[in-house]
Amino acid sequence: MEINPLGLISAAIAFLSIWIGHVSVRKIEAITVALWKPMTILITFGLALEYAALSVSNQSLAAVFGILGVTLLWDAFEIKRQAHRVRKGHAPANPNNTRHAAMLAEPNSRATTLNILNRYPIGRAVDPEEAVRLITSH
Amino acid sequence: MNAFGLIVGVATLLIIGLGFPLVIQGERRFGYLWWPYMLGIGILIIGISLFVPVDWLSVVIGALGATFVWGSTELKEQAIRAEVGWFPFNANKIKPPFEAIIQRWKAPHL
Repeated sequence: MEINPLGLISAAIAFLSIWIGHVSVRKIEAITVALWKPMTILITFGLALEYAALSVSNQSLAAVFGILGVTLLWDAFEIKRQAHRVRKGHAPANPNNTRHAAMLAEPNSRATTLNILNRYPIGRAVDPEEAVRLITSH
Repeated sequence: MNAFGLIVGVATLLIIGLGFPLVIQGERRFGYLWWPYMLGIGILIIGISLFVPVDWLSVVIGALGATFVWGSTELKEQAIRAEVGWFPFNANKIKPPFEAIIQRWKAPHL
């Protein structure tokens, strides 16, 4: 039986691009004040990769460009979603970023500099005070 | 013009989108300790894609496998999201086989 490497190539590029995208989106959103700049760059590269996917005749290369392109387009959207998470306190705010500092200073702000997810699960529901205690008490 | 890349790109995006409910529901019903099984299923699915002669189907199956592998690395954080009340918490989860052994392993997170 002949081996078809296309699925493996696609899986590898999908996994790596999700991983790198996931880490980069959090980092870029945390250090950037004007989010439209990285979003514009991501959308431009995403569309360019889709155009490249349409232009090449090699199936493996077309799949790599096609998958990488849509993940970059998705990452542009994720930058907005990440900013929303920071506002809700679901991701840590960076006080050195003036956009985040403004979120932290808002009246009744839910934003926090703490990363609530930075611990191991304990197997039961916790209230907001305990959620903070669990990540700060050790 | 070769539409193959664009089509499989969009298909991959939709399959990755399935990863969100997969992780949310999987963690709620089974718990994060199922992560080695989810990782294994993902690797198995990617392995199957090698024997699929139809190009687009091989890509779709490969992307599905990658979604399971990625999902296995998201279960731990999802468990905490449920514990802190961002998602519904289910106390009566179905325990995985070899739970005691898995508990000693560090759950992956990327």
